Amino acid sequence: MTQTAVRAARAHTGSLRLDPRAKLAMLAVANVLMFLHTGPAAQSLAVVLFSLPLLFGGKAAAGARMLAVYGVLCAVGWASALGVDRLPWLHIAGATAAGVCMMMPCLTAGMAMFATTRPGDMVCAMRRMRAPDALVIPVVVVMRFFPTIRHDYRLIRQSLRLRGFTGGGMALARRPLRSLEYILVPLLMNAANVARDLTVAGLARGLGAPGEPTSMVELRMHAVDWLAVALSLAPLAVAAVTG
Amino acid sequence: MDGTALCEVRDCTFAYSGEGAALRNVTLHVRAGELVMLVGPSGCGKTTVTRLINGLAPGHFTGTLTGHACTGGLEAGRAPLESYARVVGSVFQNPKTQYFHARSTDELAFPCENAGMPAPRIRERVRQVAARFGIDDLLDRAIVDLSGGQQQRLAVASAAVLEPAVMVLDEPTSNLDTASMARLHGMIAALKADGVAIVIAEHRLAWCTDLVDRYCVFGGGELLGTYTAREFEALPAARREAWGLRVLDVSEDRARIAAISHLECPAGGAPVLSTRGLEVGYRKRGMLRRGRGAVFSRRIPDVDVYGGQIVGIMGHNGAGKSTFARTLCGLQAPLAGTIELDGEPAHTSALSHAAALVMQDVHYQLFAESVRAEVMLETVQRGGGEHELAAARAQCDALLAELDLFDVADRHPMSLSGGQKQRLAIAVALMGCKRFVVLDEPTSGLDRAHMMQVGALLRALADRGVAVLVITHDDELAAHWCDRIIALD
Repeated sequence: MTQTAVRAARAHTGSLRLDPRAKLAMLAVANVLMFLHTGPAAQSLAVVLFSLPLLFGGKAAAGARMLAVYGVLCAVGWASALGVDRLPWLHIAGATAAGVCMMMPCLTAGMAMFATTRPGDMVCAMRRMRAPDALVIPVVVVMRFFPTIRHDYRLIRQSLRLRGFTGGGMALARRPLRSLEYILVPLLMNAANVARDLTVAGLARGLGAPGEPTSMVELRMHAVDWLAVALSLAPLAVAAVTG
Repeated sequence: MDGTALCEVRDCTFAYSGEGAALRNVTLHVRAGELVMLVGPSGCGKTTVTRLINGLAPGHFTGTLTGHACTGGLEAGRAPLESYARVVGSVFQNPKTQYFHARSTDELAFPCENAGMPAPRIRERVRQVAARFGIDDLLDRAIVDLSGGQQQRLAVASAAVLEPAVMVLDEPTSNLDTASMARLHGMIAALKADGVAIVIAEHRLAWCTDLVDRYCVFGGGELLGTYTAREFEALPAARREAWGLRVLDVSEDRARIAAISHLECPAGGAPVLSTRGLEVGYRKRGMLRRGRGAVFSRRIPDVDVYGGQIVGIMGHNGAGKSTFARTLCGLQAPLAGTIELDGEPAHTSALSHAAALVMQDVHYQLFAESVRAEVMLETVQRGGGEHELAAARAQCDALLAELDLFDVADRHPMSLSGGQKQRLAIAVALMGCKRFVVLDEPTSGLDRAHMMQVGALLRALADRGVAVLVITHDDELAAHWCDRIIALD
């Protein structure tokens, strides 16, 4: 391996790097939990468990944020249950908090999936699971587009500002349709251009060539990955016991 | 060296589906270790030749082909497009839209993975290609964080990772500064030394004259002539200019740039913009959005910019030109120092109000549903009486006529050509009565005639009393049209 790669690998040692397939298993469990409308015990266990890859995978801030959001939501739900007799409209806050709470395991697992997985590993994992190219290529493209969209959005907001359309969230809230049009149209136009160029670049690099594509990264499920899969099943067990 | 041609285009005529012939009766060949440069104005057919060689036409860009285009044993129109990747490496104009992966090392591995190489060999190849081109420092990085020059070097390395016999580059230097072009030159020299047949379609010629074996001059879809490097250099300069070509040697332009860099402000009157002790850059944002010290900062020498002047801002990729421009436009606050507008220290909002920016990607700044509506956008937004609107409409039509956009006034801005979009952005600036206009690389990828057109447009803009600032890598634009240069190196 080259020096830079070695340095990068060293920077990663000491932090937890799960196999993407283990994280996919977590995401799957999170989705099942949402369908089952599980109780608070299973739900909170799931949120804590699924934030572990973030907390120990170099994205501690993101993990802490997810836990904090969950904590606030729980508090809102609890507080509104206490005060609902006097203030009936608190039902709305309580119901919203409960609804978002139900999605938190999914959001946390999804965040862990995308924030701590390098695109190359993701592609390799999908290929190892024999996912078809029709699935692999869109995932690559989405991961490629994410940073670009943030960059594009910033440029568009800057040019709007120079045209005299100032104000951030307020303007957006006051005239949502117009703001959406002014931001979305250039964003989509640019995405279409990029997609056109990317297609050509991909073809020129042999994308879609006959024969099985390989992967530079070789992934193996280690003991820790199997442990993670086993642990991620725990909320399901709790849900089964508590009903 | 091998005497047989690796690329052969014989009597080729090609028309894209639904269009007239883009190429007529073109014949050329390239042998191993040869570099052939395709030159000519925009739309002359040189890009189409590169596509015949790398199989994208008619494989991806469909059309009718007569004649034979043969590359390393693959015949265009017969061989499947996928089989070209092992034989031809391709590099395109825009470094931002030709990488497929988010990480640089993945990008280098991408062609190998598609070719089905086993993992250890891919890692070996990636290591080799990085060493061969001296780009170890670019490995394992987020590509979006690399500069345009670095991205383009990565694109060349990725195109060369399968060790193809032929390399095709379509305007590879359009977005590059001088230093990046020099590095690209080194990569091309290495490829040539290894016996790769190289075809480059280019407007900017000066960066690799020493490597070129033959020049093929195109015009209107036809091959006007093929010249050896020596013959081509011996041609009178006026002849090359008439073909719409850029200069072979930019040393004269550079000398002129150096001369005007030392020029003091000649104009009388008060400056529109002045900077005093300015330091631009950005800070890393902490979790609670508190500053954590500057990640990037650059001191800017004190400058005064006058109305009616064209001021070039030059410097290498990453020298802080764009950051400086954004700061002038009030899009970000300076780290230190002040910017004065008409002699008064100005806040960001005042600067935004007085500034117009013509971005390199103009389509980020066009929002309306027609050209006329685009120019009228702010006026309509402000509202006002019937009389006011009518006056604004008359002014808008006059501006459109002046900028040669009147015939397309009812079209959607996105349907315009690149040059028209650029002029529309300038029309918007003029309509808004802006005090100064900043243009970011307005001539990248343009042939000589279009570059001169943009220059004339800048002059017309300045003659209205607007201060014009132009960020550019284009030595020819700077030498011909700028009154002063701010060098940020």
